[in-house]
Amino acid sequence: MKAWQKILIAAALATVIVIAGTIVYFDYFARRRLRISTTTSLYDTGLLDEIKSTYEATHNIDIHIISAGTGIALQQASAGDADIVLVHAPSQELTFLENGYGVCRKIIAYNYFTIVGPSADPARITGENATEALKKIFAYGREHSDQTIWVSRGDNSGTFSKETSLWTAAGYNQTEISSESWYATTGAGMANTLNVANQKGAYTLSDIGTYLSLYKPGTIQLKSIIAGGKSLLNVYSVMAVNPAKVSNVSFNDAIDFIKWLVSDTGQQVIDNYAVAEYSQHLFYGAVQALKNGSPQPDVSWIQSYAYFNDTECPAQWRDDHPELYS
Amino acid sequence: MAALVEIKNLSKSFGDRTVLDNIMLQIEEGEILALLGPNGSGKTTLLKILAFLEKPTSGEVTFQGVPVTAKNVERLRLQSAMVFQRTMMFSTSVYNNVAYGLRMRKLPKAVIKEEVSKALSLVKLEGFEQRPAKKLSGGEQQRVALARALVLKTKLLLLDEPTANLDPKNAAIVEDVIATANRDLKTTIVMATHNMFQAKTLPNRIALISDGVISEVGEPSEIFGELSKNLASFAAVDNTFVGTAETTEDGTTVVDIGNGVRIEATAHRSGEISVFISPQDIILSKSAVASSARNVFKGRITSILDSGSLVKLAVDVGQPFTVQITKRSFSEMGLNLGSEVYIAFKASGVQVV
Amino acid sequence: MNPIIDGIQKAFQLIFSGDPTFYGVVYRSLFFSGVATILAALWGTPIAMLIGLREFRGKTLVKNFFNTMIGMPTVALGLILYLVFSRAGPLGPLGLLYTPAAIMLGEAVLVTPLIISITANAIEAVDPEMMNLARTLGASESQTSIAILKEAMNGVILGNIAGFNRAIAELGVALLVGGGILGTTDVLTTDISLYTQRGDLGLAIAFGIILLLIVFGINLIIMLAKKARFLLTFGRSPQ
Repeated sequence: MKAWQKILIAAALATVIVIAGTIVYFDYFARRRLRISTTTSLYDTGLLDEIKSTYEATHNIDIHIISAGTGIALQQASAGDADIVLVHAPSQELTFLENGYGVCRKIIAYNYFTIVGPSADPARITGENATEALKKIFAYGREHSDQTIWVSRGDNSGTFSKETSLWTAAGYNQTEISSESWYATTGAGMANTLNVANQKGAYTLSDIGTYLSLYKPGTIQLKSIIAGGKSLLNVYSVMAVNPAKVSNVSFNDAIDFIKWLVSDTGQQVIDNYAVAEYSQHLFYGAVQALKNGSPQPDVSWIQSYAYFNDTECPAQWRDDHPELYS
Repeated sequence: MAALVEIKNLSKSFGDRTVLDNIMLQIEEGEILALLGPNGSGKTTLLKILAFLEKPTSGEVTFQGVPVTAKNVERLRLQSAMVFQRTMMFSTSVYNNVAYGLRMRKLPKAVIKEEVSKALSLVKLEGFEQRPAKKLSGGEQQRVALARALVLKTKLLLLDEPTANLDPKNAAIVEDVIATANRDLKTTIVMATHNMFQAKTLPNRIALISDGVISEVGEPSEIFGELSKNLASFAAVDNTFVGTAETTEDGTTVVDIGNGVRIEATAHRSGEISVFISPQDIILSKSAVASSARNVFKGRITSILDSGSLVKLAVDVGQPFTVQITKRSFSEMGLNLGSEVYIAFKASGVQVV
Repeated sequence: MNPIIDGIQKAFQLIFSGDPTFYGVVYRSLFFSGVATILAALWGTPIAMLIGLREFRGKTLVKNFFNTMIGMPTVALGLILYLVFSRAGPLGPLGLLYTPAAIMLGEAVLVTPLIISITANAIEAVDPEMMNLARTLGASESQTSIAILKEAMNGVILGNIAGFNRAIAELGVALLVGGGILGTTDVLTTDISLYTQRGDLGLAIAFGIILLLIVFGINLIIMLAKKARFLLTFGRSPQ
């Protein structure tokens, strides 16, 4: 036998060992794993790390978190590469449910997006609501077309979904204005986009968690100019991947995890996360609020923004788990 | 004597270039056979076929009566070893170089150690075991190469221009080792050479080869004794000239080799003869120096060939002479193509064949 | 605080911290790229030997192909491999996506062309008569190839170091097929990306410094070993 043939056989053998070793490790030695595909804003604030360590401490399972934009997270789940999705774009979530990929949707948290910009506020948007503010930014951008006035994620994320709907509410078509010279697209994550806006002295839309995590240590100097209000509401939901549609998913573990998330323990982790560090809430637990119908107007805003047919999950997608909705 | 190797109707071509043409040759057990011929005459290819490294295009080679085939070639290679003209060392120690073939033969470690040290002492390189082979001088490397082949004690040893690039001291050691190996180990040796002097002293038989054809095979006395017309056409061999000899009044012989070049020799001969002057016997200088050398000619350098530690120069003095000097002398003398130089050699250094 | 100074401080704090999470990341980086390099060497060396020792039709084309593949953007390769390893992809049933095996195989694929090119060039640079030398001394065809490979050892080592450096320093493949799952598939580069994303530039720079130190350290060790002729002249006999 020739030398190269011997080495090739060794190569094939080594490859098989690596593959088999990994499969055997995860099947027999490692703890079961639950794969969560999530949006960057939840992951990058560190909330999911906290959830992971709290959950793993009391459950015999490893949580594997893959962070991507909402669009990619949903796509990965439909390809069978995740057991659970944690996202924040109700319209995309509805499509996901309708296509049969997701079941047992629960709204677990909410907060508000914020429009941030340079402290001088050249477009004078302070005190306006979000749609009025975008109109002013648009007008200001047209006048200063040699500068970058607005920075957009442009990456199919939940934040970008929200931005698009805000422009629509203000009377513009995001696709059309995105080609104008004052409008810049990063195609990157939230922190990168905030950094770009900070360097350019431009406005952008951000989730409050990522903004604070950069603003507090002084990495960026942009001010949160508009925060709160119905149109800036940001709602996070969890969905299990439907085992009837996608094979090889850990459905029972996913349901256990969802039950824990909506339990008082899980809700407290969300609600209290980083409050001590930032002296304000990054996330609010949604479960108790929706049950009690308070605080208002937040609850009614959530219901009109993120409910489908007056419920967080219509009956046909509850998959024999009515206890989640009692 | 029985034939160790028998070559019948052997031809070899590379593409449409015929290198060997219908060769018939027997190599007797225990002999030293010299393949004498100019560069490019097919000597190396013939040696490679004898080493079972090249496959003939047509014809048959039998080794101890067994025809060489694709199937037995790897096994037959264990019976022959070749030393190449261009010295190649493995990038490791001298010991590992010499031990290589023994390891291939899966001999025990202790045996290998003993054999290597014997082989190294044969080529006068005792104590060189741990030296990095590639750091040795050209002559030492060639001796390691010889030891590396000899240590295998193969039936057949093939040497391609074993002394071509060596200075006289190393060349003498190598020639001595070749003779010893043949005498003591009964190794059959085929060596390619274009050095007339070497061909005259070492081998039992000589095969003249030119343009891929063997024209004459015989004992040195036969080949050199009478003036062979084949040998006369071997002018391409370094410093071999054909001329007319005349005995002078003071007892020496003057050979007119044409173009106004007259060489003084000590041998008493007259008529048509061939003469040969070993390149090592020629002294090169930039000006005419007074010396006992009877032959001094002025000429120009027409080519410079770098071969390891030595530099081979072609000097045109009316007839082309080949001169070997060390690289160091070459650079110290500041020689260039076209430089005017003098060559000098003693009358006793002229070999008449 | 200036993130660079902060980063240097954090780098040294981490190195001496004894923090198992941090050492886990370093260990995974070394282990994944190490296995990937070994795999790539095993896949690539026979191919390099065929390219270096044989003449065949389309040889230039094959060489050009591998030379071009060296410049493959890691993200592009990561994406292709993601589609291959995904549950819905051809290798989906193995369930390798977001596991260490995916990173090791992915990085092996990434560095294979680099190792092939450098190794094949080194083999081609060896005097072709060396093969005849080994043969006449009694080597079989397989032993002959190995003798040539040993003569090319400098280039082979260089190719494998270059492969390791590329594997340990790349992000695209590790992120796309490994997913950067903390404690399982995160490596130095994915953590640099993660902490940059999270705005913790100091920690990101710290990881960057540590990555540089590792690459530098490994190259230094190899260089010293070479200088001592430990690997080359006296390391082992050619057989």
